[in-house]
Amino acid sequence: MKLTYRTLVSTLAVAAFLVVWELAPRTGVVDVTFTSQPSRVIAAGLTIVTAGGFLNDVSVSLTEFAIGFGLAIAIGVPLGLVLGRFPVLRHLLDPPIMAIYATPHLALLPIIVVWLGIGMQSKIAVAFVGGVIPILVNTTAGVREVERSWVVAARSFCAGKWDVFVKVILPAALPSVILGIRLGLGRAVLGVVVGEMYQSQAGLGNKVMRYGSEFRTDYLLVYVLLISMFGLVATTAVRTLEEKLWTAGK
Amino acid sequence: MDGWKMKPVFLGIASFAIILLAWEAAVRLGWVNPFFVSQPSAVAATLSRTARSGELGHNLAVSFREFVIGYGLSVVVGILAGALASRFRTVEYALDPLLWFLYSAPLIAFYPIFVLWFGLGVPTVIALAFLLSFPQITTSTLNGFQNVSPGLIRAARSFGAGEMDLLWKVVLPASVPTVIAGLRLGIGRALMGVVVGELFGSTAGLGYSISYYGGLLKTTDLIASLVVIIILGVLCTQSLSALEARFDSWRVDD
Amino acid sequence: MDARPVVEPVPHIRVESLTVAYEKPHAADKLIAVSGANVEIARGTFVTIVGPSGCGKSSLLLSIAGLVKPAAGCVRINGNPVSGPGRDRAVVFQDFALMPWRTVIANVRFGLELQRLPGLTAEDLTARARRYVELVGLKGFEHYHPHQLSGGMRQRVGIARALAVDPEILLLDEPFGSLDAQTRDQMGSELITIWERDKKTALFVTHSIDEAIFLADQVVVMAANPGRITEIIPVSLPRPRSVETTDSKQFIEYRQRIRERLS
Repeated sequence: MKLTYRTLVSTLAVAAFLVVWELAPRTGVVDVTFTSQPSRVIAAGLTIVTAGGFLNDVSVSLTEFAIGFGLAIAIGVPLGLVLGRFPVLRHLLDPPIMAIYATPHLALLPIIVVWLGIGMQSKIAVAFVGGVIPILVNTTAGVREVERSWVVAARSFCAGKWDVFVKVILPAALPSVILGIRLGLGRAVLGVVVGEMYQSQAGLGNKVMRYGSEFRTDYLLVYVLLISMFGLVATTAVRTLEEKLWTAGK
Repeated sequence: MDGWKMKPVFLGIASFAIILLAWEAAVRLGWVNPFFVSQPSAVAATLSRTARSGELGHNLAVSFREFVIGYGLSVVVGILAGALASRFRTVEYALDPLLWFLYSAPLIAFYPIFVLWFGLGVPTVIALAFLLSFPQITTSTLNGFQNVSPGLIRAARSFGAGEMDLLWKVVLPASVPTVIAGLRLGIGRALMGVVVGELFGSTAGLGYSISYYGGLLKTTDLIASLVVIIILGVLCTQSLSALEARFDSWRVDD
Repeated sequence: MDARPVVEPVPHIRVESLTVAYEKPHAADKLIAVSGANVEIARGTFVTIVGPSGCGKSSLLLSIAGLVKPAAGCVRINGNPVSGPGRDRAVVFQDFALMPWRTVIANVRFGLELQRLPGLTAEDLTARARRYVELVGLKGFEHYHPHQLSGGMRQRVGIARALAVDPEILLLDEPFGSLDAQTRDQMGSELITIWERDKKTALFVTHSIDEAIFLADQVVVMAANPGRITEIIPVSLPRPRSVETTDSKQFIEYRQRIRERLS
């Protein structure tokens, strides 16, 4: 990595933050219960990872996310393509879809718990709802915004409707679809985590709430950081995919 | 075949009318169990009841206050931070990791820490609303200031504009559309912060009420409050979208 | 014409061995846009600069404007070296560069506001801007915004803005490049009409040979790789010029000559 001024300042900022975080409780400026320290968090992290039950929580959360978000893609993309293709349907469904988009999807948590209980199903459902709307909206937009001139060009070579769809519209809409997936990803992760925090029997979010109520800040932060890291890694992965597609599509 | 050129407002109303009718019909015809979804007539009745009793008004007021303070703070801090970051590269580079983290990480996971610091109730909700919306506004402001069309800057320089002139007469007006877009996105996130914050540990507010009724399995009351939240979300987003459209002509067509 | 000496001891604009280089984004060496350009421009002449893409004509103009710093050589105005933009020069840009949030009259007033001449009130500036709005034929459109105007109208605003600050030198960087052919011709004729009023020294960059000949007292021909001046051709067609002028034998000869130069 090039040592530019930018990386230098950014790294120094992070380092400075870590140093302050470690030293502040030692000097008594803040109570360690409120903020914990990097050293404690690392120690707690080691304890958690080596103890039993940790992998169970991770797998619960990951499963909820995978199924929920997977469903969101599996339903959102085809539905988005259909809506993009048929303006009549789109005009009809647009208002309720936009209304759901404008709503904080987590507000649906209580009603989903009423419907599906506190097991994994409710988290999957929230992840689905959170992820499907951006995917749907962006896929539809992607289909609609395909350059008319490309479609006309394909038609001039006697391409039938199906060919036009598969060879022109789908590839052209792909960047928007990926964008929708990236936007939906954050919402889906949020859905799983908050769902677990709200009502659950297991999972990373569940642990977050538990340790929070026990004032075990160091343990709490380990889980919080774990969740954050997952979100970051997943988002970065999709972003890289997005960039590769953008440059390929030029 | 575009015979659907009716005004979007009418289409929206028609769409919702159809949904409400189908919903009511499905329940009355026994296709769906009203325990799970209630029915529009019952929800409407509950809404008017709670409106008259003042319960709705109270919850609305609490949530609204938390939203205004949390969002308002994030607007002030966000625009200031974005402006400073655009002017001083060091500030931008130092803020970078923080913003990146706040943007990508599921921030609500920090809720228990806020409870630790501020206790259960209003301050935590405000803190959550602030934290969720502030990165968006900062980033949009930074973008807006930095991505002013270079053609405009060059033209202003050619007429002898100095640093202050450039800032006041070019950068600030040119960044308005992007800043407003950021404000619009921030509203959704601040609203989310308020609702979720109340979901977990409040004694009043719209989020609290859906959690409370959810716990009691009183679907109708739950849906009534949920409807209010949805309407609020739509209103806020639409009004800022309208504001954004008003300033759209300030964008430079490249 | 008034009684001025035909050749001034100090030319209005003098470009001496000008070299302009730009940083390449992913390479260590630089892109040489202009290499060793030399030209003298007399006061009150309308000079066009013509050449293919990449010949450095815009870079040359922007160096004279003071918006681009030369890597070597210098530009002198009235004998004094150029170190940045100044009150004596005003630029008209190809992409118009109008402030979208300002009305027509506010845009024309823009340069005047920046000058901060003492003793002038806001009303004075507006009145002055209004005169120039009328001059370019946009009377009645003072309170329109750029997005409500056609491309030709927007460029008139750009021209009015430049004229409003009363510069000694008018610099136009492919001002009609974004317009369609008919509008271009019309704007060219109108520009000359306006220019005839004060006969400011004018530099006009274009890639159209016909436009270059039609408007100019002098044509500077440039080539690419590296960007350089290859010939300076005086144009002795009588003014005022019209469509018929473009059919004249002399015009066709000029066109031939420049075309050969460029290939």
